[in-house]
Amino acid sequence: MCDKRRRGSGLAGDFVARSIRGALTFLKEAVFAEETASLPGLLQALDPRVKLASVLFLLLATMFARTLPVLGMLYLVCPLLAVLSRLRLGFFLVRTWVFIPLFSLAIAIPALFSFVSPGKIAASVGIFHITQPGLRAAIFFVGRVTVSVSLAVLLSLTTRHAALLKALRAFGVPQIFVMILGICHRYIYLFVELVEHTYLAIRSRSGARLHHWQGRRVVAWNIGQLWARSCALNEQVYGAMLARGFRGEPMTLDRFRTQPRDWVWLACVTFVCLALTTLR
Amino acid sequence: MTLFECRDVHYAYPGRVPALCGVDLTIETGTRVALIGANGSGKSTLLSLLDGLAFPQRGSIRFAGQELTEAALQDEAFALDFRRRVGLVFQNPDVQLFCPTVREDIAFGPLQLGIDAATIERRVEALAQEFHLEALLDRPPHRLSVGEKRKVAFATALAIEPEVLLLDEPTAGLDPRTATHLIERLHDAVHQGRTMVIATHDLHILADIADVVYVFGQDRRLAASGTPEEILTNHDLLEANNLIHTHTRHIHDHRQYRWGG
Repeated sequence: MCDKRRRGSGLAGDFVARSIRGALTFLKEAVFAEETASLPGLLQALDPRVKLASVLFLLLATMFARTLPVLGMLYLVCPLLAVLSRLRLGFFLVRTWVFIPLFSLAIAIPALFSFVSPGKIAASVGIFHITQPGLRAAIFFVGRVTVSVSLAVLLSLTTRHAALLKALRAFGVPQIFVMILGICHRYIYLFVELVEHTYLAIRSRSGARLHHWQGRRVVAWNIGQLWARSCALNEQVYGAMLARGFRGEPMTLDRFRTQPRDWVWLACVTFVCLALTTLR
Repeated sequence: MTLFECRDVHYAYPGRVPALCGVDLTIETGTRVALIGANGSGKSTLLSLLDGLAFPQRGSIRFAGQELTEAALQDEAFALDFRRRVGLVFQNPDVQLFCPTVREDIAFGPLQLGIDAATIERRVEALAQEFHLEALLDRPPHRLSVGEKRKVAFATALAIEPEVLLLDEPTAGLDPRTATHLIERLHDAVHQGRTMVIATHDLHILADIADVVYVFGQDRRLAASGTPEEILTNHDLLEANNLIHTHTRHIHDHRQYRWGG
């Protein structure tokens, strides 16, 4: 029994370790997509400004889509683009579908029921009635979020962060906003490393395995401490940028040059978007 | 010619004990200055103040005759001139390397300072060769080893071609070969006429890297200054300021000193 308990607590301890490692690995892959942005794919080859404009057009088309088939077609464009951009389909789908419940389900679920969307009842769950207008509104909402998140993930996976920031400036996004995004990007990486190192330090002093409740307690203690340390790091990163002449306007080595293929691409996307939004 | 002039400099981080309590020192053009002191004696804080990243709460710091204040660095022309002339290498290279690739990190400083693209490209290639970074240029800095990161951090500051180089613990945590390589590069920088201010614990390298040494006491004031020889032979001074320690348990009969902070 003693062995069983030890085995059980070990697994639980590993659960905390696995959760932290998994979350950090995911965050690194999701936010720091420099490797995928360097692949020789369709979207990677485009001028970042053109790519950003085309994604904006597709997002507008998603917002104005009036029928589910149109929304479905817009969604199908995303995995197709992912494949043409040499992204692993599984990698792309995981990255999009992990975010979708976060962004949409909590908001969409109440809309299903009659107290939010009155109308003809489609199904009942106890005293709660799901209405047809509610179902339609929820499906549209989740569908639009799915397409939008997929497009945003495609953009971030196929564009180097610095180039994306520069492209945002080209579209007149305020300098302060772009600057904050730039610092956040670097700061998240440092924060992730800080969490990794802190957890390793805890493990080195507490033995190989922690009971799950000890693990949770240690994580809780460290949240406050990490916050203070990450704030200090953030200030240092900004100081390092200032020390090398940063004045709020990010300058990068990338010199944007549009090529015929960029214009062909933009024309195609514009045509597709217009066709889909006018489709009844 | 006096480049930096610190007069009665006081600084305290918000909510913490004072970091500097009345520091007076001058740094002449073309000299190599070492700041030594125990942990928390204010060396890194002084480097931040000399680089205009923080400002004294009492007293003043002048750079080439102009007082370094927040208002002065708001002036575009002065800020540009100051950043072109002064480079800082941080103690933690992770803080300093924030661009997606090593190439972009080296080019970051010159790009912000408006240096033309062809010159930047030349500088990046030359520095990559000097620091043996050619194979790493297109790699993300966060994937490098500590030694490689430190070399890149050094290259990022040199890419600006500053007159003054401020270095915070440049050899901390490095293996002997990498440390020697960096010290050689420091020598090269001096031969190019640069002024250098180095905060360090490493007393072994002092004679090689400094003409003048300022010793920071644990009261966050200057305890002494002199040539490396004068400072390194004053064991009482080094021991009083926690820069060497005497073994209390003797393995051998004679008294032993250990370098370190």
